[in-house]
Amino acid sequence: MGRILLIWRLVLGDIRRRPVQAAMLVLMIVTTTTTLTLGLALHKVTDSPFARTRAATRGPDVVAQIAPQSGAVARPATQFASLLRSGQVTAISGPYPFSIASLTAPGIDILAQAEGRDLAPAKLDQPALTEGSWVRPGGAVLESGFAASLGLKPGDAIHLNGHRFTVAGVAVSAAQCFYPVTKPGVIWLTRTDAERLAPRAQALGYVLNLKLAHPEAVEDFAFGPIGNAFFNQPSNEVVTSLQTWLDIRHEDFQVISVDEKGLLISSSLLALVALATIAVVVGARMTEQTRRVGLLKAVGATPWLVAAVVLAEHLLLALLAAVAGVAAGKLLAPLLTDPGAGLLGSPPAPPLPATAILIVVAVAVAVAVTATLVPAVRAARVSTIRALADPAHPPRRRPWLIALSARLPVPLLFGLRLLARRPRRAALTAASLTIAVAMLVAALSLQHRIDVHDQTNAGYLVGSGSVADRVSHLVYLLSGILVVLAGVTAMFTTWATAIDAQRPTALARALGATPRQVGVGLTAAQLIPGLIAACLGIPVGLGLYQAAGGHLHEASPPLLWLLALIPGTLIVVAALTAIPARLGATRSPAEVLRSD
Amino acid sequence: MTEPILAGGEPILAARTLSKEYGTASALVRAVDDVSLTVNQGESVAIVGPSGCGKSTLLYLLGGLERPTAGTLALDSQPIHDMPESRLARLRRHAVGFVFQAFHLVDELTALENIELPALLAGASPSAARERARDLLEQVDLSDRAAHLPSALSGGQRQRVAIARALANRPRVVLADEPTGNLDSAATTDVLRLFDQLRTAGQTLVVVTHDSRVAATADRLISMRDGAFVDETRLTGGSARSLTEITGLEA
Ligand SMILES: Nc1ncnc2c1ncn2[C@@H]1O[C@H](COP(=O)(O)OP(=O)(O)OP(=O)(O)O)[C@@H](O)[C@H]1O
Ligand SMILES: [Mg+2]
Repeated sequence: MGRILLIWRLVLGDIRRRPVQAAMLVLMIVTTTTTLTLGLALHKVTDSPFARTRAATRGPDVVAQIAPQSGAVARPATQFASLLRSGQVTAISGPYPFSIASLTAPGIDILAQAEGRDLAPAKLDQPALTEGSWVRPGGAVLESGFAASLGLKPGDAIHLNGHRFTVAGVAVSAAQCFYPVTKPGVIWLTRTDAERLAPRAQALGYVLNLKLAHPEAVEDFAFGPIGNAFFNQPSNEVVTSLQTWLDIRHEDFQVISVDEKGLLISSSLLALVALATIAVVVGARMTEQTRRVGLLKAVGATPWLVAAVVLAEHLLLALLAAVAGVAAGKLLAPLLTDPGAGLLGSPPAPPLPATAILIVVAVAVAVAVTATLVPAVRAARVSTIRALADPAHPPRRRPWLIALSARLPVPLLFGLRLLARRPRRAALTAASLTIAVAMLVAALSLQHRIDVHDQTNAGYLVGSGSVADRVSHLVYLLSGILVVLAGVTAMFTTWATAIDAQRPTALARALGATPRQVGVGLTAAQLIPGLIAACLGIPVGLGLYQAAGGHLHEASPPLLWLLALIPGTLIVVAALTAIPARLGATRSPAEVLRSD
Repeated sequence: MTEPILAGGEPILAARTLSKEYGTASALVRAVDDVSLTVNQGESVAIVGPSGCGKSTLLYLLGGLERPTAGTLALDSQPIHDMPESRLARLRRHAVGFVFQAFHLVDELTALENIELPALLAGASPSAARERARDLLEQVDLSDRAAHLPSALSGGQRQRVAIARALANRPRVVLADEPTGNLDSAATTDVLRLFDQLRTAGQTLVVVTHDSRVAATADRLISMRDGAFVDETRLTGGSARSLTEITGLEA
């Protein structure tokens, strides 16, 4: 008990002694677990939306339609008969009457396919509500893509061929592609309402949904004798069409796959970066722990107590941060998943199950602890004297660099030696800045692809809330998260380096360097890894984007944007370093040098 | 330190009613309290006193590494208590050399590289800095350790390197804070001998110390208590006494 109390006190003591660092670690883990949660939520949305829609709506294998030629009347009983005779059909729903009606509302005047449905759920193709309730007399249900595009929601009033209706709900269906791929957009009414809309019986068409014994053999059915018999109706009577579930899926994918890939790239990138960043932060923090370990051991702590203190501290911080991060992620998730669901024409993703949340927390904590474990065990085993005498990584000596820097102006001399002193820290800085730049490049590529996509489809996807609009909305959100994460990473590494450089800075000033010289030197020490990172980050980002399924040959971001990232990165790094560099340059050197 | 300088020359350091406070209200510490002190060229001054009486703080004030809360301070006839930081840094380069109790050598630089560092920071050419460093290394009797890293030197050797480093820019005054605090008695003797040489050569010196043997090498001995001077002794012929006599050891 006493030992646990001691560990607790040491842990609290260390956190209090270096609150900025602890806060930084917490901030990093919060950001990364938030993004991880968002990534998972996003994945749920993008994960095979068609299959989910099909399962949720008991999607048909074949959708047959007849539309009467002008003057003729559709006779569903005889015209669908050839299909119904087939032994392969195991279930049907319909035939449902439909007509093409003009939908009007303030600011809206568009054609819609109004389909008459039963109040009771259908055995096949029962559209799944994403909002509101199912059809009722006077109440219409809009296909989700159509509703989003028109900006209609339950409760809104609309007119169909002059008859007044209320939007009762919004739903998705796997019996046709979502609007605007399927045009005109679909709207479901009661049978009576749908029949009432038709100016005369001649205007009514019919839809029949079929379930087959072998859905995978649907093409044999559609293009075999049965399908042919259906198609070969007297052409002056009806126009027939037969859509298989494979056709619908294929058409859906034409539009979705592009966007789905964008979402997938982003969410996998987020997850990857999140994990890497935690490891980087914990690693950076651990390099400063060895001296403290030596002190603990010198006053009689056992190696295991030492390891326990180090582990307990990071476990505590990681756990707190992970829980906060997941909570934030869950709060933010609807921002991403709601437009995502509408975009993909699928029912809303089920909320993240508790196990997924547990996994996020467990992964964050596991990464933090794993990153701590190696240094903790090493710290526990290192000899007390060595630990006391020297920090974890004694500064490196690079004779050629020291000789070279002696010939350079004082700020560069100082900056270069700082850099050479901690090559691993410099590499870490370069690595995390590379990740940050790569994230930006990937975000830019994604954004650019949306721009290109928007332009090529300008005439096709019209109206506010079009697919393209919603995709860019999503991409902006994702890019925003990526940029925040990149910024936090860059800030942390520059701070850590500046803190690490405190003593050499104070000493250089005691030996005669001016505040300006050390300030510029500190910044230079960051700009060198920054430059390397900017140059590496661009190809890495493009590679990541490509690897995650992006198509660079279709739309790679303009070279100028990419090149602008190099000075951009340097400016941001210089700005981020400015504050710690100023602190280091103006803080009384006596204070730093005497704390020893 | 090679050219002979007359003791009792011009004042190098002139502090008037100097005070330094840390913290505020109930946590207020008056580390240095209304201290006036003049150190003339060629003089060597020792400051002694119990732990926590403000010796280090005074030394950092005198060297311009810390700003006084009140009072005035002139270094080499220039008022520095309110001098802008960068001007002060440039003045300090050639006016002050610091020796710390904890040596504060740069771990990854060799003895020679450590010594040439202040000259490089002051803008000397690499070759001039190197030459000066070699001279100094010879003076502190460590020519054969030029290429050694601090971790490969004994405590006394490290402190001698630190003293050589403090001399790199031929400062008007050397300020040393407990230069023997981390050393055993044999190493202390090495350092004492070096200070004695410096004093004889006319180097102005201010040494803060616990060690009476170090104090005994000075011309003037100042005692401090609670941030203020309580006693000042002019050591009669401090320079005339031999080191052997002071240390009680064979030199
Ligand atoms: N940054 C600071 N904040 C608050 N108090 C301080 C600070 N630095 C020093 N002090 C206090 O100022 C007083 C003088 O400190 P100083 O280091 O000058 O003592 P000293 O005489 O050198 O002691 P020692 O012989 O132990 O080295 C002490 O009481 C110390 O606690
Ligand atoms: Mg002291």
